[in-house]
Amino acid sequence: MTTSTLPSAAPQRARRDPVPRSRRNGTAKLRRRSAPYLFVLPFIVIFLAFSVYPLIFTARLSFTNWRGSGSAEWVGWDNYTYLLTSGAFWGSLGNSAVLWLLIVPIQIVLSVIVAVLLDSAKLKLRGLYRVAFIVPFVTPLVAVAQIWVVLFDQQYGAINAFLGLFGIPDIGWLTTSAWAKPTLALLFLWKTTGFIVIILLSGLQSIDGSMYEAAELDGASRLRQLWSITVPLLRRTIMFAVVLQTLAVFQMFAEPFVVTQGGPYNSTTTAGYYLYNHITRGDLGTGAANSFLLVVIVMVLSLFFVRMLRAKD
Amino acid sequence: MNRNPKRRVLRLTAVGAIAVTALGLTACGPDIGTDAADETGTGRLQAPTSEQPEGEITIWDRSGDLYEVFDAVIDDFTEKYPGIKVNHEAVDINAKLQNTLITGTDVPDGVFLDDALIGGFADHLWDLTDVLAPYVDDIAPQKIDATSAGDGIYGVPYDLNPGLLFYNAAALEAAGIDATAIETYDDLLDAARAYQQARPESHPIHLEQSPFLGQLQLEMYASQLGTSIADADGELRLDSPEYEQILTFLDTVQTEGLGTRAEYLSPTDIAELENGDQVFYPWAIWFDFAPQQLLPETSGDWRAMELPAWEDGGARGGAMGGSSFVLPRDGENSELAWLFYEFLMYDEAGYSAVWGVNDIYPTGLNTSIPAYLPAADPSAPLFQPLDALGGQDLWAVATTAGAQIPGGTAIPSWWNGAVDYLGNDIQKMLDGDLTPAEVISGSTDAIQTNLIDRQ
Repeated sequence: MTTSTLPSAAPQRARRDPVPRSRRNGTAKLRRRSAPYLFVLPFIVIFLAFSVYPLIFTARLSFTNWRGSGSAEWVGWDNYTYLLTSGAFWGSLGNSAVLWLLIVPIQIVLSVIVAVLLDSAKLKLRGLYRVAFIVPFVTPLVAVAQIWVVLFDQQYGAINAFLGLFGIPDIGWLTTSAWAKPTLALLFLWKTTGFIVIILLSGLQSIDGSMYEAAELDGASRLRQLWSITVPLLRRTIMFAVVLQTLAVFQMFAEPFVVTQGGPYNSTTTAGYYLYNHITRGDLGTGAANSFLLVVIVMVLSLFFVRMLRAKD
Repeated sequence: MNRNPKRRVLRLTAVGAIAVTALGLTACGPDIGTDAADETGTGRLQAPTSEQPEGEITIWDRSGDLYEVFDAVIDDFTEKYPGIKVNHEAVDINAKLQNTLITGTDVPDGVFLDDALIGGFADHLWDLTDVLAPYVDDIAPQKIDATSAGDGIYGVPYDLNPGLLFYNAAALEAAGIDATAIETYDDLLDAARAYQQARPESHPIHLEQSPFLGQLQLEMYASQLGTSIADADGELRLDSPEYEQILTFLDTVQTEGLGTRAEYLSPTDIAELENGDQVFYPWAIWFDFAPQQLLPETSGDWRAMELPAWEDGGARGGAMGGSSFVLPRDGENSELAWLFYEFLMYDEAGYSAVWGVNDIYPTGLNTSIPAYLPAADPSAPLFQPLDALGGQDLWAVATTAGAQIPGGTAIPSWWNGAVDYLGNDIQKMLDGDLTPAEVISGSTDAIQTNLIDRQ
């Protein structure tokens, strides 16, 4: 009789894997720890390439007079002092500020009202209205702008023709400094209000319906419900919309570019359009400095609104 | 709060790595020194020495009819140079060229470009002085000025855009005015006053409302007097008797109510042209597009004549706009692209195919004339008379006017930027808010401070 002895598992493993247990544990731990970093690595690479690099490159450029070729001359704070003492720069910011005042408060009030109406269960053809409100947002701006130019033409536009029926004299909607901004604001309102309505609608749908039922039981009117339930609970969404539109108005470029080319007399040269002018003229250093100043201003405004929201909370 | 020291080290390492990488990447930008090097004029293009060179070229043109016209010439070119393949692309040049030249990626071998933009890109372009040498004496002097920067020529001149006085002959005749008798701008004012007397609601002379086109038109008037906003050295010369004379003329039209304030071919402009209230249009030859396509009511009533002179016997030609072909230094086969443009502009087969009768323009391309003088012979028309101008031989009028355009009218690299100052100030004057003297002094100061001093 022969007896055979099975070799124990441990030495077998030891033969197959000569790495000591402590080192194996260390490798596994390293893998476990590095896994999250590896998962976010693609984002980091993209973020570095398309956000951090351009940001630092722009910062570096803003201290030079580089015009796109050859070597750049270091000019220190010259671009910043030029802009900060330039009437045109402050004028562009002023134009954007006026447009903000003409657009954002009106748009928010209008959007809340429309969103509440569209959210009403009693409203028939709700889907149709929702589509109708979003159509301007998805319509190409260039096409809209052409229609705007024709509609608001001083002598042959439909708007002046209609107003003429009531004895109102022709208005230079796009050709006078006084009216060009309101006309541009109207275009922006018409084009983007549907988008804000959609954002607010999503906020409305997160409000618990039982709150309205309770308010109704307590005898609260529709207006009271709007003021005391809807608006407070929509505050975060509204603030989000305000920040979004503040960014949009201060970066507004396409609208003045296609409708007024910044005129008349630069009265519709927005901060974004003024920046574009530096870039297209090859004045990349001033353009970069302008970008940074614009980033700072928009960031301060956004922080202001966020702080306001937190204070209310 | 996480107080694990190893994790903190890891985080710091990651942030450090990101910062180092980002800073390293920024070194990929331009070299920064204390004194920028002027690279203009360091590269002169030479023509290929081979009789039948081979290679591939990429040519950018604007989309539209002109692209089709150039495209149709490629077959003739490849017949002459079978070894050269032309990739012809329709591109939004104003939007794409700057970035392409800066990055040096996929740079085309040849580009169609507005003359006013050439100076701004000169550092990226070949100096064409040597290749143009055999032709330069036969090219309109104004075009050589327009494509020059420093000591170099940076564009192959394409078209000459002579300013002409377009007028509604039928309406003027009905009012008893003989427009053909107009020889000076004083005559034009007199004719406008007479027309307004016959038609009190009319504002006979066009006053441009777009700052850009208004400035371009001002430069057309100045070109007649052999001057422009700046000289070849970039020195501003707005403060001169010539500009004072031109601005005073425009101001007179405005103050006497003789002008129609409208943007070029806007709805108001078209309506005023069609109803006979606006009958004089001093503009570049390309206005002839309007009677051909946009003015159905008055098409056939319009005629063109040379611009009035600023004084008896003065030049009756001035240039308004124009384009040329530029060859970027980073193009792979620039010397082959030169052969393409040489064929297009200086070979009879080339320029005849562009301006003569073709599939795209059945009566020829009549919105400009060649800048190459042998091609712009008044007695050898390339395009045919226009029905929209009552069968008038526009070729003869335009080439005669073109031959009178004086030289000495440089276009500075900051020309487009000046629109914010001079262009706007002209509009303020035409709105009655500034005097000619205020336009001159205000624009001079603003352009000097914001554009010239910051070059």
